[in-house]
Amino acid sequence: MQDKVTKVLKAIADPTRREIFHAVVIAATALSISQISGQFQISRQGVTKHIKTLEGAGLLQIKDQGRERYCFANPQPLEEVQKWLQFYDKFWDDSLQRLENYLDKEKEA
Amino acid sequence: MKDVITKEVVLNHSIDRIWKAITLQEEISTWFIKADFKAENGYRYEFTASEENGCATITGEVKSASPYTLIYTWTVENTQVETTVTWNLKEVENGTRLTLEHSGISQYTGDTAVEMFNSYTSGWDKCMVALDDHIKNEVHAG
Repeated sequence: MQDKVTKVLKAIADPTRREIFHAVVIAATALSISQISGQFQISRQGVTKHIKTLEGAGLLQIKDQGRERYCFANPQPLEEVQKWLQFYDKFWDDSLQRLENYLDKEKEA
Repeated sequence: MKDVITKEVVLNHSIDRIWKAITLQEEISTWFIKADFKAENGYRYEFTASEENGCATITGEVKSASPYTLIYTWTVENTQVETTVTWNLKEVENGTRLTLEHSGISQYTGDTAVEMFNSYTSGWDKCMVALDDHIKNEVHAG
């Protein structure tokens, strides 16, 4: 079973999906699938497939309104991955700085 | 966003000096975190910090420890997720280039990541401060 973060990372690994997600984020409102397809050279089917993947990762939510399906952006899953990365990013920066200080002090002594 | 954190620094120290610092238990315990560690393939190591600081325990297995590459798995207490830490040293003109990679991030579930992050940050901060004090004290004592 694929877990959440794997889905998020896979979803954003594809440049077209990143662009689709970005398009919905900067629209700052719900976009219909037609509106999204209109911005891309690939087929509507292709766009729909990418949207499904983004939905599966929790990055887009889809709501039916009348005949159209509307996509809403949800950056929450990205934030979760981001937090984790930021934590370890700082953790290793601090640790390597610590290593350097330790070696420098020891050399002086 | 990639599934790996990579850090690279050039240290003005010999490759053997740095290799000792990252592989010997006493040295790791001084600059990094209290360690039960042997740089031997298959060794189940444990990193711990003092209990009063409430720090997490990290366990893992040494996968490779031949100069100058050290690889071990990294599992944080109360999580089932195994990530991998790789240290690599290379002699360069003005010292030694240390490359560190921490991979397998995608194996964390979102919940685990957040939970770990929350429960963990304060603990680590305390540990790091404690370690800083420890080093300062040693320097003063010396």
